[in-house]
Amino acid sequence: MKHVLRRGGFFLLTLWAALTLNFFIPRFMPGDPVNALRDRTRGKVSEATLQQMLSSFGFKPNQNLGTQYLDYLGNMLTGHWGLSIGQALGEPVTTIIGQALPWTLGLVGITTVLAFALGTLIGIVAGWRRGGRLDAILPPLFVVTSALPYFWVALLLILMFSVWTNGLLPSDFNYDTSLVPGFSPGFIGSVLQHAVLPAATLLITSIGGWILTMRNNMITTLAEDYVRMGRAKGLPTRKVMYGYAARNAFLPNLSGFAMSLGFVISGAILIEYVFNYPGLGYLLYSAVQNVDYPLMQTLFMLFTVAVLVAVLICDLATAWLDPRVRAKE
Amino acid sequence: MTRRSARLLAAAAAICLTASACSSTQHRGGSTSASTSAGASDNGPHKKGGTVTISNEQGQTWTCNFNPFNPAAYLESNGFVYEPLIFVDELNNQAETPMLATSYQWNADKTSIVFTIRDGVKWNDGQPFSADDVAFTFNLMKQVPATDLYALWTAAGLQSATASGNKVTLTFKQPAQPYFYFFADQVTIVPKHIFSAGDAAAHPDTWKDANPVGTGPFMVNPCTPNNIQYTANPNYWQTGKPYIQKVEYPAYLDNGPANLDLASGKAQWGSQFIPGIQQFYLNKSADNHTWSPPVLNVSLYPNLDPSHKATSTLAVRQAIAAAIDRSQVSSIGEGGQEPPANQSGVVLPTFQKYYDPSVVSSAGYDKPDAAKAAQLLSSAGYSPSHPLNLTVITITGYTDWDASLAVIKQELAPIGINLSVSDLAQQTFDTKLFTGDYDLAYYGQLTGGPTPYYELREILDSANTAPIGQSANSNYERYKNPAVDALFNQYATADDATQVSLIKQVESYMVKDVPIIPVTESVDWFQYNTADIGGWPTQDDPYAQPAAFNFPDAGQVLLHLYSKSAQ
Repeated sequence: MKHVLRRGGFFLLTLWAALTLNFFIPRFMPGDPVNALRDRTRGKVSEATLQQMLSSFGFKPNQNLGTQYLDYLGNMLTGHWGLSIGQALGEPVTTIIGQALPWTLGLVGITTVLAFALGTLIGIVAGWRRGGRLDAILPPLFVVTSALPYFWVALLLILMFSVWTNGLLPSDFNYDTSLVPGFSPGFIGSVLQHAVLPAATLLITSIGGWILTMRNNMITTLAEDYVRMGRAKGLPTRKVMYGYAARNAFLPNLSGFAMSLGFVISGAILIEYVFNYPGLGYLLYSAVQNVDYPLMQTLFMLFTVAVLVAVLICDLATAWLDPRVRAKE
Repeated sequence: MTRRSARLLAAAAAICLTASACSSTQHRGGSTSASTSAGASDNGPHKKGGTVTISNEQGQTWTCNFNPFNPAAYLESNGFVYEPLIFVDELNNQAETPMLATSYQWNADKTSIVFTIRDGVKWNDGQPFSADDVAFTFNLMKQVPATDLYALWTAAGLQSATASGNKVTLTFKQPAQPYFYFFADQVTIVPKHIFSAGDAAAHPDTWKDANPVGTGPFMVNPCTPNNIQYTANPNYWQTGKPYIQKVEYPAYLDNGPANLDLASGKAQWGSQFIPGIQQFYLNKSADNHTWSPPVLNVSLYPNLDPSHKATSTLAVRQAIAAAIDRSQVSSIGEGGQEPPANQSGVVLPTFQKYYDPSVVSSAGYDKPDAAKAAQLLSSAGYSPSHPLNLTVITITGYTDWDASLAVIKQELAPIGINLSVSDLAQQTFDTKLFTGDYDLAYYGQLTGGPTPYYELREILDSANTAPIGQSANSNYERYKNPAVDALFNQYATADDATQVSLIKQVESYMVKDVPIIPVTESVDWFQYNTADIGGWPTQDDPYAQPAAFNFPDAGQVLLHLYSKSAQ
């Protein structure tokens, strides 16, 4: 119980610190929303009007910074996230994020889980049959691919499967824009088809890390006495492999997985950029580019909360999986 | 959902992927054949039908807000749905096309203008359009200053806007001819019956206009974050138009995907820079074309404030202007896609009428002259053995500008200027440029107008500058010359011929004082595919600015386009 409380307190403290940084760092960056809007409107619109426009959307640069900070903390916690003052001028931040979030969760979330599951499985088998054929091919191959920059892999895949094949697989958007979104088989098919290349890119570049750490953990664990004991007792191979070795080798990987789940919602900025995939990562890029404080701080807040929650859950899960953590209390 | 039904759904989806046509999947806007058949009854020079897809990177998904007063949204409504009074063609000596006004009449000193408003126009919801709507639009800008995008009630001195019968009178407190382009061409007219009720009346600036009611050739039907589809307004006042029945405007987040769709022919109307356009685009199909007319200058902005010793010295600026081989910069740095500029600051060939070649050639700026440049520089105390170190700031990510600056650096080195290029993030660059915290900046004004007056005034009028440390409007180099200011002030009341001669006098100051050094001309990026679509603006028929982000020009282009397969 004490463990849970301590974790909870730490969670709140980190959240406050992160929220404070999220408020101040963007405001210390060069540039201001009025100039960003002036660039976007190609200097056509008079500056006084732009200022008035932004202030009617809730941008108050002349207000006392302390008051702004307190308002901000309150608004972040109560869900009053305001209106965008950047690219999507005047659109509620909740709507903008609501449109982008499902796409990022769907694409990056599923791919992350898939990469983790596949990578861990391959790691287990490769570690168990160390020096075998699988171990000789897959880990080195994926270690190489995971070192490739993922935007480069993305461009390569577009070239191979979209440009050279005359558009066999779509290279942009999240679904065919001529379709009306809905739960029709054609639409779902189109969504899946459009996800193939970005998902493949993410898989190719992220699976290697999981394989390598899992394989190495496996090998260390296999040398442990209790594994030898299990074998000596004559337990079935499968039981030793999964129940004795993998379960213990898995623990360090789990916290890595929790972290990466937290990072899912920050999206894969470059992937979304290259594939014209309208997710949260791209949204963050555009918010920073256009000095869109309301959108920026809400996104940062969500990213922070997601990582912190993931870490918290991971802490609790580790305590449940590994009795030693509980015993220390 | 049970596991079984999930599996069924997955199977159905998989079948659909292969069969590619699923009966229950809805495509937007019905079938195209229905709209083609409607063409049989039209009496215009072209039959109706067909679809055009715009590929113009906007870096955002659509918010589906079409409020013409919201500068983040008006590109998608002005010209398409909302229309101006008079269309002014920037590329064709201000040729005017009457739109919602059939004619206009200035008073003698150009402080008052009377528009005659077109009869028989209807809003796309069926309500009649009238002079009242026009007066209402201008008065709305007075009531809610955030909607007065072009500062008509403040800077232009608009004093009243009144309607009587089919006439609308705008009265100004000073001559307002230079603002004609803004209030006749840039302002689009909104319906009184929509903007005087409910939320639209309470907050016309922030109101979300999701179903715009306009007089224009197209209606939004429907809009999603990924794509705006416009369909033709069946009751458009220009009978028989528009020929094109559907416009697709997908939301491209980046140039890459937008250009890929242009190259594959999926989109026909392109409006952004394509690197290596010959191989990437033009070679892909004989139907792919490009014509990017120059509209503005990209220049070296020297800091003229005396605190910046080198750049405020005339001889140094003259030396730089003489040393740069502009055609070299254009062909190497810009791949020939942006033509070389000239020291007069008049963009050619667009504004040929205003150009005085003798001014440029008599000062020797018509061709690069390294010997003269070296001599000028040595008179200022610098030479290759005692070089002048200068830093030029530019914007990160503008790779063509980086290439251009590399050429300029090479050309300046032999005469004794050691140029270092400093790439800055857009926001940092803006701050430094606006407040005058730089020696040299590579920059182009973002917007001009139908004559060189607009850009030159932005750059040279001392009213547009500010002391170092404060944000200047557009005269970032801090040029102050009462004689030039006076020329700009005379322009407002002058007739056409005098305006041309006034601009020519401004050119002589550009050459004499070298306040900025124009290097290349920035263009309206435009690529178009003629496989099915005809009627595009071309060099021979520049009836409107061709890039899709120009308004209300995009509306003019759409009124000219037609589908060949529908004929």
